[in-house]
Amino acid sequence: MKKFQSLTEIQSALANRQLSMVDLVQYYLSNIETTKHLNAYVEIYEAAALDHAKQLDAKYKDNPETVGRLFGMVISIKDVLCYKGHQVTAASKILEGFTSLFTATAIQRLLDEDAIIIGRVNCDQFAMGSTNENSVYGPVLNPIDNTKVPGGSSGGSAVSVKSDTCLASIGTDTGGSVRQPAAFCDLVGIKPTYGRVSRYGLLAYASSFDQIGVLSHTVRDAALILEVMAGEDEMDSTSSQKPVESYSTSLQFERKAKIAYFDTALEHEGIHPEIKSTLSTLIQQLEGNEHEVQKVSFEYLDYIIPAYYVLTTAEASSNLSRYDGVRFGYRNKAAKTLEEVYRYSRTEGFSPEVKRRIMLGTFVLSSGYYDAYYTKAQKARQLIQQKTLEILQDFDYILMPISPTPPWNLGENADDPVAMYLSDIFTVQANMVGIPAVSLPLGYHSNGLPIGVQFMANRFEEASLFAFSEYIFNNYCS
Amino acid sequence: MHDKYEIVIGLEIHVQLKTKSKAFCGDDTSFGSEPNTQVSVISLGHPGTLPVPNKQHIESAVKLGLALGCTINKENRFDRKNYFYADLPKGYQITQDEQPICLGGGIVIKVENKEKYIKLTRIHMEEDAGKSIHDVSPKYSMIDLNRAGVPLLEIVSDPDLRSADEAYAYIGEIRRMVRWLDISDGNMEEGSLRCDCNISVRLKGTTKLGTRCEIKNVNSLRNAKRAIEYEANRQITILEAGGEIEQQTRSYDADKDNTDTILRDKEDAHDYRYFPEPDMPPVVLTETYIETLQKNLPKLPAAFFELLTLEHQLSEYDAKILTDDLETANFYLTLSKQTQNKKAAANLIINRIKSYLNENSLTLKDFNLGFDKMAAFIKMIDTGQVSSAIAYQRIFPVLVENPSKAPVQIAEELGLIQNADVDFLSQIVDEVLASYPDKVTIYKKGKKGLIGFFMGEVMKKSKGKAEPKSTNKLLREKLDA
Repeated sequence: MKKFQSLTEIQSALANRQLSMVDLVQYYLSNIETTKHLNAYVEIYEAAALDHAKQLDAKYKDNPETVGRLFGMVISIKDVLCYKGHQVTAASKILEGFTSLFTATAIQRLLDEDAIIIGRVNCDQFAMGSTNENSVYGPVLNPIDNTKVPGGSSGGSAVSVKSDTCLASIGTDTGGSVRQPAAFCDLVGIKPTYGRVSRYGLLAYASSFDQIGVLSHTVRDAALILEVMAGEDEMDSTSSQKPVESYSTSLQFERKAKIAYFDTALEHEGIHPEIKSTLSTLIQQLEGNEHEVQKVSFEYLDYIIPAYYVLTTAEASSNLSRYDGVRFGYRNKAAKTLEEVYRYSRTEGFSPEVKRRIMLGTFVLSSGYYDAYYTKAQKARQLIQQKTLEILQDFDYILMPISPTPPWNLGENADDPVAMYLSDIFTVQANMVGIPAVSLPLGYHSNGLPIGVQFMANRFEEASLFAFSEYIFNNYCS
Repeated sequence: MHDKYEIVIGLEIHVQLKTKSKAFCGDDTSFGSEPNTQVSVISLGHPGTLPVPNKQHIESAVKLGLALGCTINKENRFDRKNYFYADLPKGYQITQDEQPICLGGGIVIKVENKEKYIKLTRIHMEEDAGKSIHDVSPKYSMIDLNRAGVPLLEIVSDPDLRSADEAYAYIGEIRRMVRWLDISDGNMEEGSLRCDCNISVRLKGTTKLGTRCEIKNVNSLRNAKRAIEYEANRQITILEAGGEIEQQTRSYDADKDNTDTILRDKEDAHDYRYFPEPDMPPVVLTETYIETLQKNLPKLPAAFFELLTLEHQLSEYDAKILTDDLETANFYLTLSKQTQNKKAAANLIINRIKSYLNENSLTLKDFNLGFDKMAAFIKMIDTGQVSSAIAYQRIFPVLVENPSKAPVQIAEELGLIQNADVDFLSQIVDEVLASYPDKVTIYKKGKKGLIGFFMGEVMKKSKGKAEPKSTNKLLREKLDA
């Protein structure tokens, strides 16, 4: 079967009766089988997906008008999203065997539009990581080069799409976890505005940063999926009441854009020369096409990572308290007292990286240190928010790298958490500020690994960001 | 030796609210259901769930704050209080730390006829934890999570209370207020009103506060008083013996009547790692919202009391009973508007209706006698048609069973209308005096007290119909002639 890159292609094949949903699901299932070594999937919903496909084929045959907007869309979901009757474990032993009793709002909205969920995919434990090596299911391999990491934390999501086992994947992004694996696997990734998509049913890492996002081959698919998932949800009081625009039907971009980029980013000491030169070329080409691209100074860039890790670990230390071995998930059987249940279950249930972040977060919130760390980091966040939003008053978009380096080798940074944290430097800003950001597959390194480019826009400017992304994707990405 | 010391008490009262659903999810909140039946994925703290604020929780807090003269905080933030316990599903309690919804305010208490204003520090919103039950199984602790997430208000007083009696009065006033506003059952035995007592002692005349101990598990008004008395004595005894008080959290044992169980020493104090709850945005209250709640507040107990004692000239005793709860107060107010005789209206409620309701396990809500009938009942007594004793004992029970009948009609049907007709009375009086010539002689010699005896005989003979005033007058006329 031909490799489909977009829902439009699939829907037209379905309309021409060249393809059935059962064919498509079978095709993806066989690809899952042949790419097992990549370790993207932690659970395959083989029978359920085929059943669902059969139902949809019948529904379509009966009356093509009755199928939903996502008819033809086969997706994978990250192992931090709740799907009623299915396991969700955050790639952690602490949730061993845990079955969710409800479906995340975002996932339900996709199902309601006739998307098929083909499986649950690997990720970094509790979405903490940038390589997908921090998983109880083992590391995920990059399909472009199996010695490289696929990025994280939504590594399984990126790999499932790139290896043609589904058309798109639903990931989550707390500091770049959708955009960076999208960039490492040559895909489109979107992290929407904070509050655009309900977090109900998303296993929280850092509540004030987490957002559900999409990884796909095309901008249009990402736009369509986001527009289906987005919108107010009474189960999440941080979800926005703003109406959702029709992103997928307003992708035309015919004006001249005003784009800012930071001197501190492109000239950052850690940035790989090929990434710098690829982005510089893009800037020149944009200028050549009469878009206004301006270098802007942003002196807070180096404060972003420390502030981000103080705040996210603080929230995580509290969010992960519910995994205590008492009511669900893993419990050490030898524990005799309540304290032993906590101590043994959590010691054995969480990975070292998760425990490191719980300890960090507990430390920064503890009395005597709170003001020095948590309060200060909050002030830094406010400053960064204020300054970024100021820039976005004068500019339509901010251009940024995604990762300072190409995908690195598996195991390379495993012993150096700080080096790992620093690799998030260009992606966490969007989460600190709560603005939407996309990752687009711009070009390639000399070794063939992909290079992504990031654009950020003002809050709730998804429609504009998607239209501009479509324009960049069609005209500048190789 | 105890007279040298002054007791300083501050109270933290937790009030469980009567909202339909829990503080941050839709679970039912009624008391007494089977364990773990009023739970959901949210109150169980399942992965992926989120809290959503409850409008009724906020409204109850603002109402209480306004009634107690607090400043209402317009921007309300929730915070997390982090600690591990088996009955705390999320591993943290959602509460308010730095920006409580109400600041300041206070309430007047009355002890030994002296009024005192007790200042409040704050009132904040929070959720309850579940219940740990340790006495069902010898091997296990049982956890009931029905209560987990039930909305609470915590009312923190300044250390303004100086005796167990003041604390008793204060808790009583707070309880009356939350019931008055219909935001809580205020039932200490069922746990819908709970009280932690912070107690310290110091030498009279000194201003520095002593080291305090917090007493928990005080589950009735009477126990609060006893716990405070015991704890104050304990501290004074230590100080008198030259010892020092250690800051501790202790538990009151009602069976043993002591506070000797130590729950926590200062060193074991938790670091709760409070921080802003990131799962909910701040709840912003508008001026209009607060004004509307202010406007819709019922007339408060103090204002009622003033109206009853000053304008209606009722005794403080009666006024206190009538302002015990809003329903009684409103009931009285409605009745008092239909009769000139306020005292009679108060008497009817206090001495007859209340006891009728108690005997039949009813509440004022169930009492369906029209106010016009009650007013007619009072008028019937005032005009001398029926004696008040007869009316209360004989007519009232029939009237409540036949609420559509006029009281006078019932009196007539039962033949209980008093007769003041001089001819009618004269005949009976003459007959009575004729029957007891000896007593008449004794009376005439000066033993005027016998008038009561003659009255009784006339009443007996007239089957209660003789109108007392006229009978009395007639008797005196005839005897003193």
